[in-house]
Amino acid sequence: MALLFVGAALINNILLTRFIALCSFFGISNDMDTSVGMSLAVIFVMVMASTATWLLWNVVLAPLGVGEFLYIPAFILIIAALVQFVEMYLRKASPALYRAMGIYLPLITTNCAVLAAATEVAKPGFFKMNMAYSYGFFEGLVYTIGVAAGYGFALVSFTALRERLETAPVPAALRGIPMAFITAGLLSLGYVGLGGLFGL
Amino acid sequence: MLVLKAVLVLAALGAFSAALLATAARRFHVDVDPKVELVFEALPGSNCGACGNPSCFAVAERVSAGSLKVDTCVAGGQSVADALAKVLGVTGVEVEASVSVLHCGGGTRSARSYRYSGLHSCNAVARLAGGPLRCPAGCIGFGDCARACPFDAIIMGDDGLPIVDLEACTGCGICVRECPRAGSHHLLELLPVATRVVVRCSTRERVKERRESCPVCCIACKKCEKVCDVDAIVVVDGLAVIDQALCTACGACIEECPQNCIGRIDQGACAAEVSA
Repeated sequence: MALLFVGAALINNILLTRFIALCSFFGISNDMDTSVGMSLAVIFVMVMASTATWLLWNVVLAPLGVGEFLYIPAFILIIAALVQFVEMYLRKASPALYRAMGIYLPLITTNCAVLAAATEVAKPGFFKMNMAYSYGFFEGLVYTIGVAAGYGFALVSFTALRERLETAPVPAALRGIPMAFITAGLLSLGYVGLGGLFGL
Repeated sequence: MLVLKAVLVLAALGAFSAALLATAARRFHVDVDPKVELVFEALPGSNCGACGNPSCFAVAERVSAGSLKVDTCVAGGQSVADALAKVLGVTGVEVEASVSVLHCGGGTRSARSYRYSGLHSCNAVARLAGGPLRCPAGCIGFGDCARACPFDAIIMGDDGLPIVDLEACTGCGICVRECPRAGSHHLLELLPVATRVVVRCSTRERVKERRESCPVCCIACKKCEKVCDVDAIVVVDGLAVIDQALCTACGACIEECPQNCIGRIDQGACAAEVSA
Protein backbone atom coordinates (compact mmCIF):
# COMPACT_ATOMS: atom_id res chain seq x y z
CA MET A 1 0.00 0.00 0.00
CA ALA A 2 2.86 2.41 0.86
CA LEU A 3 4.54 1.65 -2.47
CA LEU A 4 1.26 2.18 -4.26
CA PHE A 5 0.98 5.61 -2.62
CA VAL A 6 4.58 6.61 -3.38
CA GLY A 7 4.26 5.34 -6.95
CA ALA A 8 1.07 7.32 -7.53
CA ALA A 9 2.26 10.50 -5.80
CA LEU A 10 5.87 10.82 -6.97
CA ILE A 11 7.05 8.33 -9.57
CA ASN A 12 3.94 8.50 -11.74
CA ASN A 13 3.12 12.08 -10.73
CA ILE A 14 0.05 13.04 -12.69
CA LEU A 15 1.31 16.54 -13.49
CA LEU A 16 5.01 16.25 -14.06
CA THR A 17 5.45 12.67 -15.24
CA ARG A 18 2.16 11.99 -17.02
CA PHE A 19 1.49 15.61 -18.11
CA ILE A 20 -2.22 15.53 -17.29
CA ALA A 21 -4.18 18.52 -15.88
CA LEU A 22 -1.57 21.04 -17.00
CA CYS A 23 -4.25 23.69 -17.56
CA SER A 24 -4.91 24.04 -13.84
CA PHE A 25 -1.17 23.60 -13.15
CA PHE A 26 -0.27 26.72 -15.11
CA GLY A 27 -3.54 28.55 -14.57
CA ILE A 28 -3.62 28.82 -10.79
CA SER A 29 0.02 28.49 -9.76
CA ASN A 30 0.45 32.26 -9.36
CA ASP A 31 -0.73 32.41 -5.80
CA MET A 32 0.04 30.10 -2.87
CA ASP A 33 -3.34 30.45 -1.16
CA THR A 34 -5.16 29.56 -4.36
CA SER A 35 -3.02 26.53 -5.10
CA VAL A 36 -3.36 25.16 -1.56
CA GLY A 37 -7.15 25.56 -1.84
CA MET A 38 -7.16 23.88 -5.24
CA SER A 39 -5.01 20.99 -3.99
CA LEU A 40 -7.36 20.30 -1.07
CA ALA A 41 -10.39 20.53 -3.34
CA VAL A 42 -8.80 18.09 -5.82
CA ILE A 43 -8.07 15.56 -3.04
CA PHE A 44 -11.67 15.80 -1.90
CA VAL A 45 -13.27 15.54 -5.34
CA MET A 46 -10.87 12.87 -6.61
CA VAL A 47 -11.60 10.55 -3.69
CA MET A 48 -15.34 11.01 -4.13
CA ALA A 49 -15.20 10.57 -7.91
CA SER A 50 -12.94 7.50 -7.86
CA THR A 51 -15.14 5.80 -5.27
CA ALA A 52 -18.20 6.40 -7.42
CA THR A 53 -16.57 5.28 -10.66
CA TRP A 54 -15.06 2.15 -9.02
CA LEU A 55 -18.56 1.16 -7.95
CA LEU A 56 -20.00 2.04 -11.36
CA TRP A 57 -17.37 -0.03 -13.17
CA ASN A 58 -17.54 -3.06 -10.92
CA VAL A 59 -21.31 -3.09 -10.34
CA VAL A 60 -22.73 -1.89 -13.66
CA LEU A 61 -20.36 -1.47 -16.61
CA ALA A 62 -18.10 -4.55 -16.34
CA PRO A 63 -20.83 -7.11 -15.51
CA LEU A 64 -22.98 -5.86 -18.42
CA GLY A 65 -20.00 -5.97 -20.79
CA VAL A 66 -20.41 -2.37 -21.99
CA GLY A 67 -17.55 -0.83 -20.00
CA GLU A 68 -14.83 -0.91 -22.64
CA PHE A 69 -16.45 1.65 -24.93
CA LEU A 70 -18.83 3.37 -22.53
CA TYR A 71 -16.60 4.16 -19.60
CA ILE A 72 -15.52 7.70 -20.62
CA PRO A 73 -19.01 9.21 -21.13
CA ALA A 74 -20.34 7.31 -18.11
CA PHE A 75 -17.52 8.51 -15.86
CA ILE A 76 -17.78 12.12 -17.06
CA LEU A 77 -21.50 12.06 -16.38
CA ILE A 78 -21.08 10.62 -12.91
CA ILE A 79 -18.20 12.94 -11.95
CA ALA A 80 -20.06 16.05 -13.16
CA ALA A 81 -23.23 15.07 -11.32
CA LEU A 82 -21.28 14.23 -8.18
CA VAL A 83 -19.45 17.55 -8.13
CA GLN A 84 -22.73 19.42 -8.56
CA PHE A 85 -24.27 17.38 -5.77
CA VAL A 86 -21.35 18.03 -3.41
CA GLU A 87 -21.53 21.74 -4.21
CA MET A 88 -25.23 21.87 -3.32
CA TYR A 89 -24.67 19.87 -0.16
CA LEU A 90 -21.77 22.04 1.01
CA ARG A 91 -23.73 25.22 0.38
CA LYS A 92 -26.42 23.99 2.73
CA ALA A 93 -24.37 22.10 5.32
CA SER A 94 -21.20 24.15 5.61
CA PRO A 95 -21.43 27.65 4.12
CA ALA A 96 -17.91 28.51 5.34
CA LEU A 97 -16.36 25.53 3.54
CA TYR A 98 -18.55 26.21 0.51
CA ARG A 99 -17.24 29.77 0.35
CA ALA A 100 -13.65 28.55 0.68
CA MET A 101 -14.00 25.83 -1.98
CA GLY A 102 -16.87 27.28 -3.96
CA ILE A 103 -14.76 28.74 -6.74
CA TYR A 104 -12.82 25.57 -7.34
CA LEU A 105 -15.48 22.88 -7.08
CA PRO A 106 -17.17 23.60 -10.45
CA LEU A 107 -13.76 24.02 -12.09
CA ILE A 108 -12.67 20.58 -10.95
CA THR A 109 -15.61 19.03 -12.82
CA THR A 110 -13.63 19.61 -15.99
CA ASN A 111 -10.25 18.75 -14.49
CA CYS A 112 -8.87 15.87 -16.57
CA ALA A 113 -6.84 14.65 -13.57
CA VAL A 114 -10.06 13.52 -11.86
CA LEU A 115 -11.14 11.53 -14.93
CA ALA A 116 -7.64 10.08 -15.36
CA ALA A 117 -7.43 8.90 -11.74
CA ALA A 118 -10.94 7.46 -11.88
CA THR A 119 -10.12 5.66 -15.13
CA GLU A 120 -6.94 4.19 -13.70
CA VAL A 121 -8.77 2.91 -10.62
CA ALA A 122 -11.42 1.21 -12.74
CA LYS A 123 -9.17 0.09 -15.62
CA PRO A 124 -5.54 -0.27 -14.42
CA GLY A 125 -2.95 0.19 -17.12
CA PHE A 126 -3.32 3.82 -18.10
CA PHE A 127 -0.55 4.96 -15.77
CA LYS A 128 1.52 1.83 -16.36
CA MET A 129 1.68 1.09 -12.65
CA ASN A 130 2.43 -2.58 -13.40
CA MET A 131 -0.75 -3.71 -11.76
CA ALA A 132 -1.43 -7.26 -12.89
CA TYR A 133 -4.96 -7.21 -11.51
CA SER A 134 -7.77 -4.71 -10.91
CA TYR A 135 -7.63 -2.50 -7.88
CA GLY A 136 -9.61 -3.55 -4.83
CA PHE A 137 -11.72 -0.81 -3.26
CA PHE A 138 -9.15 0.19 -0.62
CA GLU A 139 -6.23 -0.11 -3.07
CA GLY A 140 -8.13 2.23 -5.37
CA LEU A 141 -8.68 4.63 -2.50
CA VAL A 142 -4.99 4.67 -1.53
CA TYR A 143 -4.01 5.09 -5.17
CA THR A 144 -6.42 8.02 -5.62
CA ILE A 145 -5.23 9.78 -2.47
CA GLY A 146 -1.66 9.26 -3.74
CA VAL A 147 -2.45 10.82 -7.12
CA ALA A 148 -4.22 13.77 -5.46
CA ALA A 149 -1.38 14.26 -2.96
CA GLY A 150 1.12 14.17 -5.84
CA TYR A 151 -0.96 16.77 -7.69
CA GLY A 152 -1.03 18.99 -4.60
CA PHE A 153 2.67 18.59 -3.87
CA ALA A 154 3.71 19.37 -7.43
CA LEU A 155 1.33 22.34 -7.63
CA VAL A 156 2.43 23.87 -4.33
CA SER A 157 6.16 23.42 -5.04
CA PHE A 158 5.70 24.88 -8.53
CA THR A 159 3.79 27.84 -7.07
CA ALA A 160 6.61 28.47 -4.60
CA LEU A 161 9.08 28.52 -7.51
CA ARG A 162 6.89 30.86 -9.55
CA GLU A 163 6.47 33.25 -6.62
CA ARG A 164 10.26 33.31 -6.27
CA LEU A 165 10.65 33.89 -10.01
CA GLU A 166 8.44 36.99 -9.77
CA THR A 167 11.33 38.79 -8.10
CA ALA A 168 14.17 37.13 -10.01
CA PRO A 169 16.04 38.91 -12.82
CA VAL A 170 14.40 36.94 -15.65
CA PRO A 171 14.93 38.32 -19.21
CA ALA A 172 11.88 40.33 -20.32
CA ALA A 173 11.10 37.96 -23.21
CA LEU A 174 10.83 34.99 -20.87
CA ARG A 175 8.79 36.60 -18.10
CA GLY A 176 5.50 34.96 -17.18
CA ILE A 177 4.28 31.80 -18.93
CA PRO A 178 7.48 31.06 -20.96
CA MET A 179 9.54 30.97 -17.78
CA ALA A 180 6.82 28.90 -16.11
CA PHE A 181 7.10 26.28 -18.88
CA ILE A 182 10.90 26.15 -18.59
CA THR A 183 10.63 25.77 -14.81
CA ALA A 184 7.97 23.06 -15.17
CA GLY A 185 10.25 21.23 -17.62
CA LEU A 186 13.17 21.28 -15.17
CA LEU A 187 10.89 20.22 -12.31
CA SER A 188 9.56 17.43 -14.50
CA LEU A 189 13.10 16.17 -15.12
CA GLY A 190 13.49 15.84 -11.37
CA TYR A 191 10.31 13.79 -11.09
CA VAL A 192 11.19 11.57 -14.06
CA GLY A 193 14.52 10.95 -12.33
CA LEU A 194 12.62 9.26 -9.52
CA GLY A 195 11.67 6.43 -11.92
CA GLY A 196 13.07 3.14 -10.68
CA LEU A 197 12.82 4.16 -7.02
CA PHE A 198 11.85 1.08 -4.97
CA GLY A 199 11.76 -0.82 -8.27
CA LEU A 200 8.65 1.07 -9.34
CA MET B 1 -28.11 -5.98 -28.62
CA LEU B 2 -24.87 -4.47 -27.27
CA VAL B 3 -25.82 -1.05 -28.63
CA LEU B 4 -29.24 -1.27 -27.00
CA LYS B 5 -27.65 -2.27 -23.72
CA ALA B 6 -25.20 0.68 -23.91
CA VAL B 7 -27.99 3.13 -24.69
CA LEU B 8 -30.05 1.81 -21.79
CA VAL B 9 -27.11 1.99 -19.37
CA LEU B 10 -26.31 5.56 -20.37
CA ALA B 11 -29.97 6.58 -20.21
CA ALA B 12 -30.29 5.01 -16.76
CA LEU B 13 -27.17 6.82 -15.57
CA GLY B 14 -28.50 10.10 -16.95
CA ALA B 15 -31.86 9.58 -15.26
CA PHE B 16 -30.14 8.63 -11.99
CA SER B 17 -27.93 11.75 -12.08
CA ALA B 18 -30.88 13.98 -12.96
CA ALA B 19 -32.94 12.54 -10.11
CA LEU B 20 -30.03 12.92 -7.70
CA LEU B 21 -29.51 16.57 -8.65
CA ALA B 22 -33.21 17.40 -8.66
CA THR B 23 -33.62 15.91 -5.20
CA ALA B 24 -30.51 17.68 -3.96
CA ALA B 25 -31.66 21.01 -5.42
CA ARG B 26 -34.92 20.73 -3.45
CA ARG B 27 -33.48 19.20 -0.29
CA PHE B 28 -30.44 21.50 0.00
CA HIS B 29 -32.09 24.66 -1.27
CA VAL B 30 -30.64 27.74 0.40
CA ASP B 31 -32.62 30.95 0.61
CA VAL B 32 -30.35 33.93 0.11
CA ASP B 33 -31.61 37.21 1.49
CA PRO B 34 -32.16 39.48 -1.55
CA LYS B 35 -30.85 42.36 0.57
CA VAL B 36 -27.48 40.57 0.96
CA GLU B 37 -27.25 40.15 -2.81
CA LEU B 38 -28.01 43.84 -3.39
CA VAL B 39 -25.41 44.89 -0.82
CA PHE B 40 -22.86 42.48 -2.35
CA GLU B 41 -23.44 43.99 -5.80
CA ALA B 42 -22.85 47.48 -4.41
CA LEU B 43 -19.48 46.51 -2.90
CA PRO B 44 -16.29 46.71 -5.03
CA GLY B 45 -15.80 42.92 -5.02
CA SER B 46 -12.03 43.21 -4.79
CA ASN B 47 -11.86 41.13 -1.56
CA CYS B 48 -8.94 43.36 -0.48
CA GLY B 49 -9.49 42.71 3.24
CA ALA B 50 -8.75 46.31 4.19
CA CYS B 51 -11.88 46.41 6.37
CA GLY B 52 -10.68 43.38 8.33
CA ASN B 53 -13.21 40.96 6.83
CA PRO B 54 -12.22 37.92 4.74
CA SER B 55 -14.34 38.76 1.68
CA CYS B 56 -16.82 41.23 0.25
CA PHE B 57 -19.56 38.60 0.63
CA ALA B 58 -18.86 38.35 4.36
CA VAL B 59 -19.15 42.14 4.56
CA ALA B 60 -22.44 42.03 2.63
CA GLU B 61 -23.87 39.51 5.09
CA ARG B 62 -22.75 41.43 8.16
CA VAL B 63 -23.80 44.85 6.84
CA SER B 64 -27.23 43.44 5.96
CA ALA B 65 -27.53 41.94 9.43
CA GLY B 66 -26.65 45.31 10.97
CA SER B 67 -23.48 44.11 12.72
CA LEU B 68 -21.25 46.30 10.51
CA LYS B 69 -21.64 49.96 9.68
CA VAL B 70 -22.58 51.16 6.19
CA ASP B 71 -19.21 52.95 5.84
CA THR B 72 -17.23 49.75 6.58
CA CYS B 73 -15.80 49.44 3.07
CA VAL B 74 -12.55 51.39 3.30
CA ALA B 75 -11.65 50.87 -0.34
CA GLY B 76 -15.06 51.90 -1.64
CA GLY B 77 -15.13 55.30 0.03
CA GLN B 78 -18.10 57.63 -0.16
CA SER B 79 -19.61 56.23 -3.38
CA VAL B 80 -19.91 52.69 -2.01
CA ALA B 81 -21.15 53.96 1.35
CA ASP B 82 -23.84 55.95 -0.49
CA ALA B 83 -24.83 52.88 -2.54
CA LEU B 84 -25.06 50.73 0.60
CA ALA B 85 -27.01 53.42 2.42
CA LYS B 86 -29.49 53.52 -0.48
CA VAL B 87 -29.99 49.73 -0.34
CA LEU B 88 -30.42 49.70 3.41
CA GLY B 89 -32.45 52.91 3.65
CA VAL B 90 -29.91 54.80 5.79
CA THR B 91 -29.28 58.53 5.39
CA GLY B 92 -26.50 60.98 6.22
CA VAL B 93 -23.47 58.68 5.87
CA GLU B 94 -20.21 60.62 5.73
CA VAL B 95 -16.96 58.78 4.98
CA GLU B 96 -13.61 60.40 5.68
CA ALA B 97 -11.55 59.26 2.70
CA SER B 98 -7.79 58.90 3.08
CA VAL B 99 -4.83 58.32 0.81
CA SER B 100 -1.42 56.75 1.24
CA VAL B 101 1.36 59.30 1.69
CA LEU B 102 5.12 58.72 1.58
CA HIS B 103 7.37 60.41 4.12
CA CYS B 104 10.71 60.07 2.35
CA GLY B 105 12.50 62.07 -0.32
CA GLY B 106 15.75 60.14 -0.39
CA GLY B 107 15.39 57.12 -2.64
CA THR B 108 18.43 56.58 -4.84
CA ARG B 109 20.04 59.72 -3.35
CA SER B 110 20.34 58.15 0.11
CA ALA B 111 23.71 56.84 1.29
CA ARG B 112 24.16 53.06 1.47
CA SER B 113 25.70 51.04 4.27
CA TYR B 114 26.23 47.96 2.10
CA ARG B 115 25.66 46.73 -1.44
CA TYR B 116 22.80 44.31 -1.74
CA SER B 117 22.19 41.77 -4.46
CA GLY B 118 19.41 39.32 -3.79
CA LEU B 119 15.66 39.08 -3.57
CA HIS B 120 14.10 42.36 -4.70
CA SER B 121 11.84 42.71 -1.71
CA CYS B 122 11.83 45.48 0.90
CA ASN B 123 10.59 43.03 3.53
CA ALA B 124 13.45 40.61 2.77
CA VAL B 125 16.27 43.16 2.77
CA ALA B 126 14.92 45.03 5.81
CA ARG B 127 15.77 41.91 7.80
CA LEU B 128 19.46 42.16 6.83
CA ALA B 129 20.92 44.59 9.38
CA GLY B 130 17.94 46.92 8.92
CA GLY B 131 18.36 47.28 5.17
CA PRO B 132 21.03 48.68 2.83
CA LEU B 133 20.29 52.37 3.54
CA ARG B 134 22.24 54.33 6.13
CA CYS B 135 18.93 55.95 7.13
CA PRO B 136 16.94 53.45 9.19
CA ALA B 137 13.67 55.08 8.12
CA GLY B 138 14.37 55.56 4.39
CA CYS B 139 12.39 54.01 1.57
CA ILE B 140 14.24 50.89 0.39
CA GLY B 141 12.60 51.14 -3.02
CA PHE B 142 12.05 47.54 -4.08
CA GLY B 143 8.35 48.23 -4.47
CA ASP B 144 6.63 45.81 -2.08
CA CYS B 145 3.92 48.47 -1.69
CA ALA B 146 3.40 48.76 -5.46
CA ARG B 147 3.11 44.97 -5.83
CA ALA B 148 0.72 44.71 -2.90
CA CYS B 149 -1.63 47.48 -4.09
CA PRO B 150 -4.76 45.77 -5.46
CA PHE B 151 -5.83 48.97 -7.22
CA ASP B 152 -2.57 49.59 -9.15
CA ALA B 153 -2.36 52.99 -7.50
CA ILE B 154 1.41 52.86 -6.86
CA ILE B 155 4.24 52.77 -9.38
CA MET B 156 7.95 52.97 -8.65
CA GLY B 157 9.65 56.15 -9.89
CA ASP B 158 13.11 56.34 -11.44
CA ASP B 159 14.43 57.76 -8.17
CA GLY B 160 13.51 54.55 -6.33
CA LEU B 161 10.51 56.04 -4.55
CA PRO B 162 6.89 54.96 -4.90
CA ILE B 163 4.55 57.36 -6.67
CA VAL B 164 0.99 57.19 -5.39
CA ASP B 165 -1.76 57.90 -7.91
CA LEU B 166 -4.02 59.90 -5.63
CA GLU B 167 -7.07 59.33 -7.81
CA ALA B 168 -6.64 55.57 -7.86
CA CYS B 169 -5.65 55.28 -4.18
CA THR B 170 -8.63 54.13 -2.11
CA GLY B 171 -6.93 54.42 1.27
CA CYS B 172 -7.29 50.71 1.93
CA GLY B 173 -3.99 50.67 3.84
CA ILE B 174 -2.61 47.46 2.30
CA CYS B 175 0.61 49.24 1.23
CA VAL B 176 1.04 50.62 4.75
CA ARG B 177 0.82 47.12 6.20
CA GLU B 178 3.20 45.74 3.54
CA CYS B 179 5.91 48.37 4.08
CA PRO B 180 8.54 47.18 6.58
CA ARG B 181 9.20 50.79 7.58
CA ALA B 182 5.58 51.80 8.09
CA GLY B 183 5.20 50.27 11.54
CA SER B 184 8.29 51.71 13.16
CA HIS B 185 8.85 54.93 11.23
CA HIS B 186 5.50 55.79 9.56
CA LEU B 187 7.23 55.92 6.18
CA LEU B 188 3.89 55.28 4.49
CA GLU B 189 0.92 56.76 6.28
CA LEU B 190 -2.79 57.09 5.61
CA LEU B 191 -3.75 60.76 5.73
CA PRO B 192 -7.06 62.50 4.95
CA VAL B 193 -7.62 63.05 1.25
CA ALA B 194 -7.68 66.82 1.96
CA THR B 195 -3.95 66.66 2.87
CA ARG B 196 -1.96 68.96 0.60
CA VAL B 197 1.48 69.45 2.15
CA VAL B 198 3.65 66.71 3.68
CA VAL B 199 7.10 66.33 5.21
CA ARG B 200 9.22 63.98 3.09
CA CYS B 201 11.22 62.63 6.01
CA SER B 202 10.40 60.34 8.90
CA THR B 203 13.73 59.59 10.55
CA ARG B 204 14.36 60.10 14.27
CA GLU B 205 18.14 59.86 14.08
CA ARG B 206 20.43 62.57 15.34
CA VAL B 207 20.70 65.45 12.86
CA LYS B 208 24.42 64.89 12.24
CA GLU B 209 23.77 61.29 11.18
CA ARG B 210 20.79 62.31 9.09
CA ARG B 211 22.92 64.72 7.11
CA GLU B 212 25.42 61.97 6.38
CA SER B 213 22.80 59.49 5.26
CA CYS B 214 20.41 61.56 3.12
CA PRO B 215 20.54 64.93 1.29
CA VAL B 216 16.73 65.38 1.57
CA CYS B 217 16.39 64.92 5.33
CA CYS B 218 14.73 67.24 7.84
CA ILE B 219 17.50 68.96 9.83
CA ALA B 220 15.16 70.47 12.45
CA CYS B 221 16.24 74.02 11.56
CA LYS B 222 12.72 75.23 12.42
CA LYS B 223 12.63 77.65 9.46
CA CYS B 224 9.32 76.10 8.37
CA GLU B 225 7.92 76.54 11.86
CA LYS B 226 8.88 80.21 11.91
CA VAL B 227 7.55 80.99 8.45
CA CYS B 228 4.14 79.38 8.97
CA ASP B 229 1.53 82.08 9.61
CA VAL B 230 -1.10 79.69 10.93
CA ASP B 231 1.18 77.68 13.25
CA ALA B 232 0.35 74.51 11.37
CA ILE B 233 3.92 73.19 11.39
CA VAL B 234 5.89 72.33 14.51
CA VAL B 235 9.24 70.60 14.96
CA VAL B 236 8.76 67.71 17.38
CA ASP B 237 11.71 65.52 18.43
CA GLY B 238 13.81 66.95 15.61
CA LEU B 239 11.23 66.35 12.87
CA ALA B 240 8.78 68.79 11.28
CA VAL B 241 5.15 67.74 11.74
CA ILE B 242 2.25 69.37 9.89
CA ASP B 243 -1.18 69.75 11.49
CA GLN B 244 -3.36 69.06 8.46
CA ALA B 245 -6.37 70.69 10.09
CA LEU B 246 -4.59 74.06 10.30
CA CYS B 247 -2.51 73.92 7.10
CA THR B 248 -3.73 76.28 4.36
CA ALA B 249 -1.22 74.97 1.80
CA CYS B 250 0.15 78.47 1.24
CA GLY B 251 3.51 76.95 0.31
CA ALA B 252 5.67 79.23 2.47
CA CYS B 253 7.29 76.29 4.29
CA ILE B 254 8.00 74.51 0.98
CA GLU B 255 9.90 77.53 -0.29
CA GLU B 256 11.69 78.12 2.99
CA CYS B 257 12.91 74.54 3.59
CA PRO B 258 16.67 74.44 2.81
CA GLN B 259 16.57 70.64 2.42
CA ASN B 260 13.57 70.52 0.04
CA CYS B 261 12.00 67.93 2.26
CA ILE B 262 8.54 69.49 2.39
CA GLY B 263 6.32 69.09 -0.64
CA ARG B 264 2.80 69.11 -2.01
CA ILE B 265 0.80 66.03 -2.74
CA ASP B 266 -1.90 67.74 -4.81
CA GLN B 267 -3.47 65.47 -7.39
CA GLY B 268 -1.40 65.31 -10.54
CA ALA B 269 1.49 67.18 -8.98
CA CYS B 270 2.58 64.27 -6.85
CA ALA B 271 4.71 62.47 -9.45
CA ALA B 272 6.63 65.61 -10.37
CA GLU B 273 7.02 66.48 -6.73
CA VAL B 274 8.46 63.14 -5.70
CA SER B 275 10.82 62.71 -8.62
CA ALA B 276 12.04 66.33 -8.56
